[in-house]
Amino acid sequence: MSIFSSNSKKTGKTCTVIVGCGRLGANIADSLSEAGKDVVIIDSNSDSFRKLSPMFGGMKITGDATEMLVFNDLDMKNVSSVIAVTNHDNTNIMVAQIAREMFHIDKVIARLYDPARECVYRELGIDTICPVILSTNEVDNLLFGGTTA
Amino acid sequence: MKPRVILIEGYDETRYLAKSLIGNGYKVTAINEDIEKCKLLAGISNLRVFHGDGSKPFVLDDADVYDADIAVAMSPFDDANLVICELCKKKFNIKKTVAVVSDPKKTDFFRTMGIDSVVCAISAISNIIEQHILLSDIKTVMPIGEGHAEVIQISVPENAKVTGQKLCDIDLPKQAIIGCVLRGSRTLVPHGQTTLESGDGLILIVAGPNKEAAIRKLTAK
Repeated sequence: MSIFSSNSKKTGKTCTVIVGCGRLGANIADSLSEAGKDVVIIDSNSDSFRKLSPMFGGMKITGDATEMLVFNDLDMKNVSSVIAVTNHDNTNIMVAQIAREMFHIDKVIARLYDPARECVYRELGIDTICPVILSTNEVDNLLFGGTTA
Repeated sequence: MKPRVILIEGYDETRYLAKSLIGNGYKVTAINEDIEKCKLLAGISNLRVFHGDGSKPFVLDDADVYDADIAVAMSPFDDANLVICELCKKKFNIKKTVAVVSDPKKTDFFRTMGIDSVVCAISAISNIIEQHILLSDIKTVMPIGEGHAEVIQISVPENAKVTGQKLCDIDLPKQAIIGCVLRGSRTLVPHGQTTLESGDGLILIVAGPNKEAAIRKLTAK
């Protein structure tokens, strides 16, 4: 998680907003919270927050992050990064673009299931994580010891 | 060459649009995620129908949308419409993209993201309500320049303060001019010495926030 700390040192912004409290979102939120960072997690369903560890010390917001009202409620000046990890690619893309274009967040990361959409969003300065590509590379790595990767 | 239009999602909208566009000589392709709706759409003659999720690049590729003239995204989900339009523009080189949005707060955001036309039924309805309830003297309104300016037709009511006044004496707010006066069957392009009469139809061109102030000024009794 070094990217977050290096980022916050430079700008003085400290808070990370995570959109989508699925397995990935909850895990990232827990590990950031454990490392003592400010974390806000947003999900449209309050039941999703049960995935968070009981030790989670961040803020939980129930709401639809594609509605800009949710972002308006937050102190966006203090937000260094937004991570969009809901289970819908389109939602992640829209949240990432709202964060980037409307709120000028420095670091924006979106998880995309479908690698075909990635090329369109790379030019906007949004980092994308694609589990399919990561897993493919890792399987390659395990099978061939990284010689083909 | 016939202009090519791609209609994505929105069954009823697609049906009516496709029929009228085909009638006007356009080459129309419809993409819909619901196979049953695709079957029904296939009943329209000369309409190419593709089954699939239009926010996926391979579906758009299969439908051969490259270099089409207009793409219209009409799914009920704003995020899908955004992605569809961006893919169409960036990956498939479609000249003009149109997106339907449900949330009026997102129209500016969609425009920032490079979507050429953003259609929001909710803001259209709220504009109509606003005009008819608050300002009943307005007859017609035409938004220009992405809705930042408007051409408005109003009529000067009887006993209005401005009747008999010269235009140069009326203190209209900034960013508002009277472009045309409709008097009976005559149409005048006014100048500073033109005097207004009750019953005159005024074609007003306004930009920015002064719309209501300008209309109140011209219709106040």
